[in-house]
Amino acid sequence: MISRKSKRNWLVLLILLVLSVVIGYQYIYQNHRNIETEKAEYILTPQTISDEFKLDALKSEKKYLNQTIEISGTITEVNENDLTLNDMVFCQFNNIVNQTIKINSVVKIKGRCIGYDDLLEQVKLDQCTLLK
Amino acid sequence: MKNIIYILFLISISITAQTKYITKSGTINFEASVPSFEEVKASHSVVTAIINTANGEFAALALVKGFRFKNALMEEHFNENYAESDTYPKATFRGKISGFSLEKLNKEKQSFLVNGQLTFHGKTKQLDNTTVEIAINDDIIVISGSFTASASEFDIDIPKVVRSKIASNINVSFNFELKKK
Repeated sequence: MISRKSKRNWLVLLILLVLSVVIGYQYIYQNHRNIETEKAEYILTPQTISDEFKLDALKSEKKYLNQTIEISGTITEVNENDLTLNDMVFCQFNNIVNQTIKINSVVKIKGRCIGYDDLLEQVKLDQCTLLK
Repeated sequence: MKNIIYILFLISISITAQTKYITKSGTINFEASVPSFEEVKASHSVVTAIINTANGEFAALALVKGFRFKNALMEEHFNENYAESDTYPKATFRGKISGFSLEKLNKEKQSFLVNGQLTFHGKTKQLDNTTVEIAINDDIIVISGSFTASASEFDIDIPKVVRSKIASNINVSFNFELKKK
């Protein structure tokens, strides 16, 4: 015959077990960052961020890597999944870029800075979204 | 006579030396999965690559933070503990494709050997005679191939707890579609 007290102990243990499994599962399978809903840490122009990277790459990497950034500029190139602002900032989109936007139009883009590309001499953003 | 041929040869080199083909959206995938454990796999779709068609010199650059995993926690661990992408944000390759010439290429894939240096996590590894397949289609040069690398070659220490879940030989594959600049 199980006493009421030990029955209760078992129940507490079971709840703790279920809880730790749930928390553990949520930790392991947590969602990716959602850059689209994050507030931008820096609001810049292509010229400023490009100049900063050219001047001091190490310092700029510390400042901007992995940060959500908002950039306004003129489109100089549009491809299926990316566009380039002022020939200085390359923006990669997760989704297909709206092909109605034209070269030379001014846009505002939010994305995550992933670094400076020496071959292209361009700053790169990924997970971009078009703000306007 | 010999001199004239030599001079003509030099001129022809300098004329074609400007020919560069480039891509901004090359792909690199790597996988270090172990059967029956969760897949360890990432892909990068904005790799820059340039080839100089005059001499076969080839360079590629991938910003390490651009490698995307299905699992967000795995991506975080990859960046913070293994690739240390805050300190080493770039992965690069610089090399030369042996016997490359634009005239040789056609729509059919042909094998070439490439030699060069691969840098990742601040360590450089020599890649010798790695096979790549090259074809040309509507003036787009397509270079693809794969190789294996190990984490230890790049000074990446995998903790004992997860060692059984990550393959020691990492399979890396790439595909670049380069357009004339």
